[in-house]
Amino acid sequence: MEKQLNELKQQAIGELALAASADKLNDLRVKYLGKKGSLTAVLRGLGSLTAEERPRIGQVVNEIRNELEQLIESKNSQLKQAELSARLASEKIDITLPGRKNRLGHKHPLTTTLDRIKATFMNLGFEIADGPEVEQDYYNFEALNLPKDHPARDMQDSFYITEEFLLRTHTSPVQVRTMQKSEPNQPIRIIAPGKVYRRDYDATHSPMFQQVEGLVIDRGISFSDLKGTLELFIHEMFGNNVGVRFRPSFFPFTEPSAEVDISCVICSGSGCRVCKGTGWLEILGSGMVHPRVLEMSNFDPQQVSGFAFGMGVERIAMLIYGIDDLRLFYDNDLRFLRQF
Amino acid sequence: MQASIKWLKDYVDFKESPEVLAEMLTMAGVPVEGINYLGKDLEKIVTGKILEIERHPNADRLSICKVDVATEVLTIVTGANNIEVGQVVPVALVGAVLPSGLKIAQSKLRGVLSSGMLCSATELNLDLKMLSAEEKEGIFILDHATAIGVDIKQALGLDDVVLEFELTANRADCFSVLGLAREVSVLTGNLLKKPMLSLKEEGDEKVAGLVQIKINEPSLCPRFTGRVLKNVKVGPSPAWLKHRIQAAGMRSINNVVDVTNFVMLELGQPMHAYDYNLLARHTIIVRKAQPGERITTLDGAKRELSPEMLVIADEVQAVGVAGVMGGLATEVTANTQNVLLEAAAFNNVSIRRTAKALGLRSEASGRFERGVDTANVTRALDRAAKLLEEMGACRVCPGIIDVYPGFELPRQVSFNPQSINKHLGTDVPTPVMVDILRRLEFEVEIDGDNVMTTVPTWRGDVQYPADIAEEVARIYGFNHIPSTTPSGNMMSGGQSSVQSLIYEMKNILSGAGLDEIISFSFTHPDTLDKLNIPQDDCLRLAVPILNPITDDFPILRTTLLGGILETVARNVARKNDDIRIYEIGSVYLPEKLPLEALPNEPIMLCGAMVGKRNEIAWNQGRDHIDFYDAKGVIELLLGRLGIADFKVAVANHYALHPGKSASFSLNEEILGYVGELHPLVANVFDLNRKVYIFELNVEVLARYAVLIGKYTALPKYPAISRDLALVLPEAVTASQVDEAIRMNAGELLSEVRLFDVYTGEQVPQGFKSLAFSLTFQSSDRTLTDSEIDGHYKNTVVYIEETFGAKLRS
Repeated sequence: MEKQLNELKQQAIGELALAASADKLNDLRVKYLGKKGSLTAVLRGLGSLTAEERPRIGQVVNEIRNELEQLIESKNSQLKQAELSARLASEKIDITLPGRKNRLGHKHPLTTTLDRIKATFMNLGFEIADGPEVEQDYYNFEALNLPKDHPARDMQDSFYITEEFLLRTHTSPVQVRTMQKSEPNQPIRIIAPGKVYRRDYDATHSPMFQQVEGLVIDRGISFSDLKGTLELFIHEMFGNNVGVRFRPSFFPFTEPSAEVDISCVICSGSGCRVCKGTGWLEILGSGMVHPRVLEMSNFDPQQVSGFAFGMGVERIAMLIYGIDDLRLFYDNDLRFLRQF
Repeated sequence: MQASIKWLKDYVDFKESPEVLAEMLTMAGVPVEGINYLGKDLEKIVTGKILEIERHPNADRLSICKVDVATEVLTIVTGANNIEVGQVVPVALVGAVLPSGLKIAQSKLRGVLSSGMLCSATELNLDLKMLSAEEKEGIFILDHATAIGVDIKQALGLDDVVLEFELTANRADCFSVLGLAREVSVLTGNLLKKPMLSLKEEGDEKVAGLVQIKINEPSLCPRFTGRVLKNVKVGPSPAWLKHRIQAAGMRSINNVVDVTNFVMLELGQPMHAYDYNLLARHTIIVRKAQPGERITTLDGAKRELSPEMLVIADEVQAVGVAGVMGGLATEVTANTQNVLLEAAAFNNVSIRRTAKALGLRSEASGRFERGVDTANVTRALDRAAKLLEEMGACRVCPGIIDVYPGFELPRQVSFNPQSINKHLGTDVPTPVMVDILRRLEFEVEIDGDNVMTTVPTWRGDVQYPADIAEEVARIYGFNHIPSTTPSGNMMSGGQSSVQSLIYEMKNILSGAGLDEIISFSFTHPDTLDKLNIPQDDCLRLAVPILNPITDDFPILRTTLLGGILETVARNVARKNDDIRIYEIGSVYLPEKLPLEALPNEPIMLCGAMVGKRNEIAWNQGRDHIDFYDAKGVIELLLGRLGIADFKVAVANHYALHPGKSASFSLNEEILGYVGELHPLVANVFDLNRKVYIFELNVEVLARYAVLIGKYTALPKYPAISRDLALVLPEAVTASQVDEAIRMNAGELLSEVRLFDVYTGEQVPQGFKSLAFSLTFQSSDRTLTDSEIDGHYKNTVVYIEETFGAKLRS
């Protein structure tokens, strides 16, 4: 009997080894282990054995049964693995084909630059102010200590509409408007971005360009506050390694006045075409608000003081992005705009 | 303003290199823009005297010269034809390299050995602007008295370095070499040596008897002074004088004119020399020009004067435009025997207006515009007379005639050193401030806590304690001032709701695939024509610019559409065919013209979409953008801005296709338009393709936008959806059907979506099929079909009856 069982086992192992599909495997399971299977038939024949033989043979049958079941199970998982591998191999695609993209638009580089400038100053507690682009002579010049025939009016050749109205030549009139809207001697902390207009048109000048004006007024504001605030801003925009220097200058609406230079971002200060060999780039005009300007807007220079500054957005964008022709900003060639 | 290092050293000693000096001055508010080493490429070129000239035996055009260069006599072959024996000329020695790069070597020219080269002005790279016509031609001939064997740089005054200043408008005092030297002396701590003014006067004709001066316009001429020079010998200037004024960028004319220019450059006081004998009745009248009065100025130009211009006249005619340029009639020439020297002060505004009106900006007018040192004008007379007298060019008549109606005491400014420290955020001790001011020649008196200063008469810009603060700060050094940040109350930064809205809109439009442009605010009336704007439309009322930058831009824009379409056209011309752009910016709408009040400046959004919907790609369609792409952008934008319940209607817009244009409105207020550009408008913009545009008023959007909305609870119970496919007459619009569904489908209807539009097979001619998906939902229960069925049926019946529609099977 035992011998017969072992032969059956060897026969089953042999056939299982040859099974090449899950179906075939199932057939073999039915053939040997099924209700009408060979092994089951042997078990059925146990009744004809003696009481001593019965448990022993029963144990042998169970052992064979377990062994075959394990074999089938392992063979089954092998076959499944192979089938999966075959399927995955057949599903292979060319992953080097470009992906499917949603098209995203591009903000104008001046917008991006201005957004950064605004964010920096908003974090420092500045409000964003604005004012009209067509402006009265009074706000653009007179109230900024630039009376008629002041030679400094030459520096900013203006577009006139009438004797009285012109396109603002700088964002500084927003200073005056802000002060005159405010209660006298109350603290002010604003920046005013916007378009300004001057009669100039070449690779470094555009008849329309954008400026950001800044004004801080409070009790005890000093020139050192101006320095600290602008250094903070510059390091935020250009990184902490950039050098900053303040150079005495002249604006009719500030006293003392300072031009602010940064170490050349192109050559790091060693001298190049962009910085004209000086190692420095002028990026800001600034100064302590002139007492006359405060007085004309009903602020008392004995009680409060302030500083103001102005910068060209194009200039800063050109330095950040390495753009060499200012006219590109207003030419609106999509090949340019889509780089930002 | 230009000043040479050598000239500066006439008044102050310093050891600093030009670069270091330039940096010191720049950081003290006297900006140096350039450093020019004169004669930097002139090596091994010396002066030589021509001893002999022979014709070259083998070449008609060449001559052979013997030239004495002190160390030897050289044989040089030259092609020049302006040379003569005895002349002193520049000789490039063997081994020299000319500025052009030409190397001078010993060489045989047609069989004759030549050991050097005679040079022209061009070969020496001299500034041709400074030279007379004959100096520019042929070999450059030096003054016959020039020593021989001398380095040409020395002989021509080119062994010098010129600093080019870009001075600010307030520093009138620095438009003089002496003023610049004062700054150098303050910054280096070295003594300022002012020029000597004592001079020898001769004869007993007192100036008062020789000239009469009348000032008719004392407000425009606060001071007019003169000296008379007799026995004047007009001739070339000595080399030193030529070199000085040439280094300052001016041409040498003759000794008298050169001296007046030298003194102007040295002291900052413009001067003028008149031929005394040609002044009618030896009288000077400072008056306004008469109507129609004309004058020929020194530059030879005939100029018509207007009655607000100030002139210098004699008894008969105007002999000069005051402070701007002298007249040709009384010019100093070789025949001049006697000279009236003028040094005066004029009102800066008047000079500025006159110079501008005549289009004539001179070295003199530039200085008068900034303001001269009225208290010291006579120094210039003395200095010029002394120089000419010392050259032996004249006899100086005794005395000065000085008419001074505008006398003013020097200005005094009192300040508190502590206030200045507070203003600057510094801790500069009072003695340091006082020392800085004294070095700048302020008179200083300490008066308790305050300091009283008398401002030097040449510092008209110093008026307030803030100006004193600047003087202290710039000499103390801006970079020695500490950096702090403002103390005081914390302030909340932020921006207005319109500014936030614009920021958000740009984000949304970027997300929708549109690129932002910024175009000029200027435009041309032709653009309004091209846009087909009706003649009586308010957009025709555009703000005109008196002095536009070009003829293309005489008005301010009243719509962004022109700039958008020009940008589209420009990009199409450059083969950028697939375009989706927008601009957000102001337009300028005056109430009336001429302008009496500021125009309205509403902010608009305008955009255009042209070309393919998708970028070229292997897995994306190549369909063209259509009306619904543009409309979709606006729907997306309004949706994201929280603007709901807007109405869309067929629009009538001047620039749009009448069958493909829509308006968006809310509460009867127009938000904007979207549509296909009218083919005729497209045509005039050279756009032979379909262009979809949109235009919205940002300020109206701002009234309805809800950037931060409230949350709606998520549904707890499942929704039921039903499809509704209808066959409708073509004229029925989708929004009519949509509205009908919403009216009839009951309160449980939560969403309606149109998911199919079809015409063609199975749909009769003149009909179309629209298929909607309806979603029903309740917030408090799971719906059953029976709750929906009634509403659904009512809806179908209503639509069938109202529109003659049929349910599609």
